[in-house]
Amino acid sequence: MTKYLLNRIVRGLLSVIIVVGIVMVMIYSCLDRNLIFKADPMYTKVKGNSKEVYQMQQWEKYGYVDYVSYSEFLMNLKREGKIDQDTYDKVVKVPNKLDKADAKTAEYIDLFTETMEDDGYEVEFLKAKMKGKTKKYADGGEPRLYAHKNVPLIARLGKYITGLVTVDNIHNVQEDIEGRGLKFTWKDPVYGGNKFSPAIMGTGTTHKYLLYCDDQFPFIHQNLVNINLGKSYSIRQGIDVFQIMTDSQGSFEKSMVTFPSGKTERSADDLHSATYLAGSLENGTPVVKANFVDDYTNVTTHKAGLSKVGYSFTIGIIATLLSYVLAIPLGTYMALRKDKLLDHLGTIYIVFIIAVPSLAYIFLFKALGGKIGLPTTFDMEHPTRLMYILPIISLALPSIANLMKWLRRYMIDQMNSDYVKFARSGGLSESEIFKKHVLKNAIIPIVHGIPASVLGAMTGAIITERVYVVPGAGNLLTNAINTYDNGVIVGMTLFYALLTVTSIILGDVLMSIMDPRISFTNKSR
Amino acid sequence: MADKLIDLADLNLSEEELFAPVDHDDLASEKITAPRYSYWHSVFRVFFKKKINIIILSLLAVVLVFTYIYPAVIHYDAEVDPFINLMDSTAKHLSPATAMDKFGHNIHWILGAGASGQSTFDAIWYGSSISVTLALVCALINMTVGVAIGAVWGFSKKIDMFMTEVYNIIGNVPYVLLISVIVLIMSASFWSMVFALTITGWIGIAYFIRTQVIIIRDREYNLASRCLGTPLRRIATKNILPFMTSVIVTMAATEIPSYISYEVFLSYIGMGLKDMSLGKIIESAQSAMQTPGWEIEFWAPVAIASIITVVLYVVGQNLGDASDPRTHM
Repeated sequence: MTKYLLNRIVRGLLSVIIVVGIVMVMIYSCLDRNLIFKADPMYTKVKGNSKEVYQMQQWEKYGYVDYVSYSEFLMNLKREGKIDQDTYDKVVKVPNKLDKADAKTAEYIDLFTETMEDDGYEVEFLKAKMKGKTKKYADGGEPRLYAHKNVPLIARLGKYITGLVTVDNIHNVQEDIEGRGLKFTWKDPVYGGNKFSPAIMGTGTTHKYLLYCDDQFPFIHQNLVNINLGKSYSIRQGIDVFQIMTDSQGSFEKSMVTFPSGKTERSADDLHSATYLAGSLENGTPVVKANFVDDYTNVTTHKAGLSKVGYSFTIGIIATLLSYVLAIPLGTYMALRKDKLLDHLGTIYIVFIIAVPSLAYIFLFKALGGKIGLPTTFDMEHPTRLMYILPIISLALPSIANLMKWLRRYMIDQMNSDYVKFARSGGLSESEIFKKHVLKNAIIPIVHGIPASVLGAMTGAIITERVYVVPGAGNLLTNAINTYDNGVIVGMTLFYALLTVTSIILGDVLMSIMDPRISFTNKSR
Repeated sequence: MADKLIDLADLNLSEEELFAPVDHDDLASEKITAPRYSYWHSVFRVFFKKKINIIILSLLAVVLVFTYIYPAVIHYDAEVDPFINLMDSTAKHLSPATAMDKFGHNIHWILGAGASGQSTFDAIWYGSSISVTLALVCALINMTVGVAIGAVWGFSKKIDMFMTEVYNIIGNVPYVLLISVIVLIMSASFWSMVFALTITGWIGIAYFIRTQVIIIRDREYNLASRCLGTPLRRIATKNILPFMTSVIVTMAATEIPSYISYEVFLSYIGMGLKDMSLGKIIESAQSAMQTPGWEIEFWAPVAIASIITVVLYVVGQNLGDASDPRTHM
């Protein structure tokens, strides 16, 4: 069993990787890469040579190309100790035209060109664009020298897969930082230093807090192991998809916090989320300077609402529970009273849900719900329990129909089978036959779908969330596609694929637990 | 007891109705006879036995006439007709009553006028001709490819291993993403939509057929057939295909309406056709729903889309039931 499951998991993961690869080919190779700038306000602002460079920088950021500018190259040489600060300063300025470079600069430009071309890069020189006949550069007209090459698919996929899970360590900060190491404290300074709340804090790590406690479920939190599904480009620029899905939304929720500088005030800042941002204290606003003592200033905020996944899951899981609780007795009853009134009514309902476009009945529920006074849109600022009702009904009714249809079908198949006839001729009572034989057998295929519907509740529902304006995860993928947000598309694909693979494996396991006849160890067909 | 005996003469029976001795015929006693059985004949017999099916079938005929013949009869031109009253500000967003008062009492205005003064009724049927054609073409391609591949997939164990992995992979590529990428690369035209819906759409059908084939492939009667030396092709066409007919018809019944629903869904999320299909009409009428009195512009196409899908679904389901030989008794 374990061996079989392990094999299934490995094969599942492999297919997930291939799926991500296919999606990467689709969006990185098949689609025009200029589409990503469609929703970018910066892009229209930059002009001339800067635009070319901006394009390259963005493409590098989102994984299209490898881009190395001349100054980055020199900076590297300096770091490796091959040149000193003086030489760096002397040669770093790119000349207006290549042949106008002085001897020393020309030497390094040649070195840059040679090294990069050897590595398979393409070297570009953009000569200066002047403002008319003056000696001033036109807007964005500074001369530029850089090298770029396309990232091959395998490298991109490899980098993505290996970067999925990162473990924070004290060497993550590249800049010089004092007191690199880990510190354990019983009393978290965020709460003023008096409350008992153990925490592990790091210096030199990306996150300041690696382990901490608070009053939110599950009470002990960690930042040590991080999941990176890929950076967003247009939905929330620069934020990881995982964070977009799990960050709380809505209005700020303030509480008393003690900042590292010792200042205590009511603030929505979540100090536990602090990450390192080089030079942020020095260049920060007066508020940042007053609150922080080091470069761990990049914090998120506490918000009153749930996260995108939170909303989708709340609605989805209630709808799933409701549909199982209602559909199993209803489907059973339909099968027992076959060709009676209730069976006919149920069949009409099932036909209605299956045949009618989902959009039509969701709008119908919305109109009907609105008539009897239920809130038809989701309001995060003034949450009430009532606003959950219509989305839950819209999700539950179709899945009830689906479950009823299959349960009725399985039950009738079982009731017509030979062993039931045998049991009846053997003198077993109808209720005994039903409870001990029919229901037990008919429920097995239904059980197979439970993990899929529970995990599927996390992905949200596209139309329902759109119609009721639910800030859930269902529309993340379609929004990402509409705004060409490649990072989110890849991240969501991986998320969906992992959920599907997991739910199928879990479904099989659950089925084999329920039904001892099903064994995965020796398949013979 | 004697008075209980019946005298045959009292019953006034003719000579033929009474029992008569028959000569023994050696030839006739050797003949094995059964009632003549024709599969398709029985299918239609069972289908038309239910009165509801005749009603539904005539509904389907009406829907098809309006979808395909009505736009042709009124010479509907998608380039001109929707904008015929564009300049007339009093012709927009009219309820059926006011539209009929304004333009005369004819069939065009029984559902009122839309956002640019067009006839909602004409626009809906033109749109449904696009949507229904899309659904039929996609279903035809997907069913043909799906059934053919599914049959091979179910029969060969080597292909099964390979195809199951392919299924796991393709099934995990988000459908919405695939369609939108294809639409972005090609264009939002009818045939690129067909391409997007069929490039991977067949695999679900193939998987379903594969499972059905596996279930009946190793049944006793097929085993017996194989032992008697029946060639594989004849087992496939004579033993398995008749069993599959009802499965295939039932599946077509769910497939065709599902493509109409899917087209509506894609248009609603902004990834649909650029032609004025049903989905596109619903999507563009969505804003009108916010204004009291204009709701009919939204509900009319939604209702007609629902009628079309329900009629197609019910006809298909009942035809599927009738094509199951077990119902022919």
